[in-house]
Amino acid sequence: MPNTIQGQIVEFLNKSVPGCNAVINAPIAAVGDSSITVEAANILEVCKALKFSAEFNFNVLQVITGTDYADRIEVSYILASFSKNLELILKAKLPRGDKFNLPKINSVVSVWNAANFQERETYDMIGIEFVGHPDFRRILCPYDWDGHPLRKDYVVQEKYLDMVVDPPGKNNTADQMFGKRLKEEIGDPKRVSASWKDSTAGEEEVAKDGE
Amino acid sequence: MSSHNENTEDKIILGDQEVLKSDLLTLNMGPQHPATHGVLRVEIKTDSEIVVDAIPHLGYLHRCFEKHAENLDYRGVIPFVDRMDYLAAMNMEWGYALTIEKMLGTEVPKRAEYIRVLVAELQRIASHLVFFGTYGIDLGAFTVFLYCFEDREEILRLFEELSGARMLYNYIWIGGVWNDITDDQLARITKFVDRFEVELAKYHSLVGENKIFIGRTANVGVVTAEQALDYGATGPVLRGSGVKWDLRKNRTYGIYDKFDFDVAVGKGEKGTVGDCWDRYHVRIQEMFQSIKIIRQALDGIEEGPVMGKVPKIIKVPAGEIYMRTECPRGELGYHLISDGGKTPYRLKVKSSCFTHVSMLPIMAPGQMVADFVASIGSIDIVLGEVDR
Amino acid sequence: METIHLKKNIEPELTFTGWFKNIYTAVKTTLIGLGITFKYVWGRDVVTIEYPEVREELPSNSRSRLFNDAENCISCLQCAVACPVDCIYIAAVKRATDAPKIKTKDGTPIRLDLKQYTIDTALCCYCGLCTTVCPTECLTHTTDYEFASYTLASMKYDYLAPEIRAWRTRIVKS
Repeated sequence: MPNTIQGQIVEFLNKSVPGCNAVINAPIAAVGDSSITVEAANILEVCKALKFSAEFNFNVLQVITGTDYADRIEVSYILASFSKNLELILKAKLPRGDKFNLPKINSVVSVWNAANFQERETYDMIGIEFVGHPDFRRILCPYDWDGHPLRKDYVVQEKYLDMVVDPPGKNNTADQMFGKRLKEEIGDPKRVSASWKDSTAGEEEVAKDGE
Repeated sequence: MSSHNENTEDKIILGDQEVLKSDLLTLNMGPQHPATHGVLRVEIKTDSEIVVDAIPHLGYLHRCFEKHAENLDYRGVIPFVDRMDYLAAMNMEWGYALTIEKMLGTEVPKRAEYIRVLVAELQRIASHLVFFGTYGIDLGAFTVFLYCFEDREEILRLFEELSGARMLYNYIWIGGVWNDITDDQLARITKFVDRFEVELAKYHSLVGENKIFIGRTANVGVVTAEQALDYGATGPVLRGSGVKWDLRKNRTYGIYDKFDFDVAVGKGEKGTVGDCWDRYHVRIQEMFQSIKIIRQALDGIEEGPVMGKVPKIIKVPAGEIYMRTECPRGELGYHLISDGGKTPYRLKVKSSCFTHVSMLPIMAPGQMVADFVASIGSIDIVLGEVDR
Repeated sequence: METIHLKKNIEPELTFTGWFKNIYTAVKTTLIGLGITFKYVWGRDVVTIEYPEVREELPSNSRSRLFNDAENCISCLQCAVACPVDCIYIAAVKRATDAPKIKTKDGTPIRLDLKQYTIDTALCCYCGLCTTVCPTECLTHTTDYEFASYTLASMKYDYLAPEIRAWRTRIVKS
């Protein structure tokens, strides 16, 4: 699709940043936006090229966000050009890594200062290390929090600063017992609303589909 | 609360003269501080009264909305969306509803579109009135706070009759709006905007034209247009710096293309372009423009249904979308990634307040502490949206 | 040693005429402001109400405390599914085949016996999604707004309990 704006951007990127392998991801079900995927190693050059190109001039970084898939992490840079009225979702694929070996990508703070907080948030929530960030800390969770909440396999840590996270005394156990008792009394899970999510989540699905 | 900095050898030059007379003092402003509009903690380093550095610490109101949304069905997200920017819940809902509607290809009835514009613009007025009132309090003017809240009360009362709640409406639904608006309510809106237009001009001459107010805000907290774009500022903060950018005009959504209104920009009337007074004035002018839009919407509103055809169980087709709308505080973007299921796979919210908080470190250096309070107030943050 | 350069707020240069102009505008704008506020001293209605003595009626579709009219409930669980915070607890059993056939107000046959209908008001976020999906419109928001209580347990409303059923005469019209 070289006539669309995405097509032009891909052409421009492949020409100006050799080796960035820009490709268009067309929308799957023909709805929504298409995005452009580039090599993660070239992200800084790509962003610089996009910002300083006279043709596109993506002068505003709207947001940096990550998405956790089962086999990879995709970090999306949503760029906008206020002078040319354009919008672009730029993506880079990274391995998932693990807790001690987070995936790494170059920071783009030198291109847009807006990336400062956005990259900190992405690190906090998804767990991507941005190399070259001037002030690399967590932002929304406490600075010494463990884990990255928006990963799909995130489990809340049990202890934080010697305090029990989610202590049973503060948990509304009465509610859980209430629901459990109801289920046992009635015996038919389809006839009881599942008020707490546990291993019987499948049964709740049945109840949902039953309508 | 405070401690001395070890680095006593620093030399601080303000303008062209050396000012450091004592050690740098680290001061925690917030999290419970009336001038921070919620639970924001700003660690400021001061040399006596002059702020040298400001480091915002966020997260005191963090609920991880994005994780919540991954476990909720598409309709169930709306009550949570309300709780982000609780002063402009209608605009938050509209952005979310638009995102899902675009993915589903739902056609929204004309009447619902008009009602959406009406409530969104009324909400913009209500939200700016809170800014106006609290900004007055920040700078020591108490009277205008009471005036603003009286007018806001009228809008909230109307919303309560319309949706059933005063702040967290759950009114704009995927495919339309919940309840129809009655002719009586439309007449009340007409009456309200007629009265409010006069009142607002009065409030502006009470506060905005006042010499003391100008002295406190003009030339304070200047953000240049380059800085604003570099930091990704949107909404009144960007327009206050003189950049004419409004999504309602530049990337039209809903039925905003039918309305005739101007985009207010800061011109530096009382000081430099991009100072606190400009940001204040942009908001005041926006309220007048909102009144203009409301009048046109009242004229154009059509009869008809208010709810489009939406499946009972919403399943968004796989794909992704980034949808942004103009909220009172700036652009609100929803980045939705769907895998075709009943719940969003990933819903990222681009909050304008979050971006604006990141601009505090460039506004603060060189200011007096009291001017710093004026700067925080002028970017009008809602911590529910910053921390999400 | 580190040198920190701070930019100073720009201040306009003060001239002799500017000094008098400043005083003039300050006095003028202050007087305008005082004039506006002075009008509020007389001739304005009181906008506040003295709350515990004077109670305001909420608009009829206010979303306040929930009420389930158990007689018309068909135990379809739709409210519990729609609830984003999962605060509705329902349990039902199949109605015996030889039991007399009963119907709701709008004629829907009731095939399940409601054994438990409890809403934890402490968890409820008053979004109103449960009332909109209710097919028989038995679950409604009332306009009661004073229901603070001392314990969490008492926030759990059992709509089959006689003391809560007694509200029915007040809430359900016709």
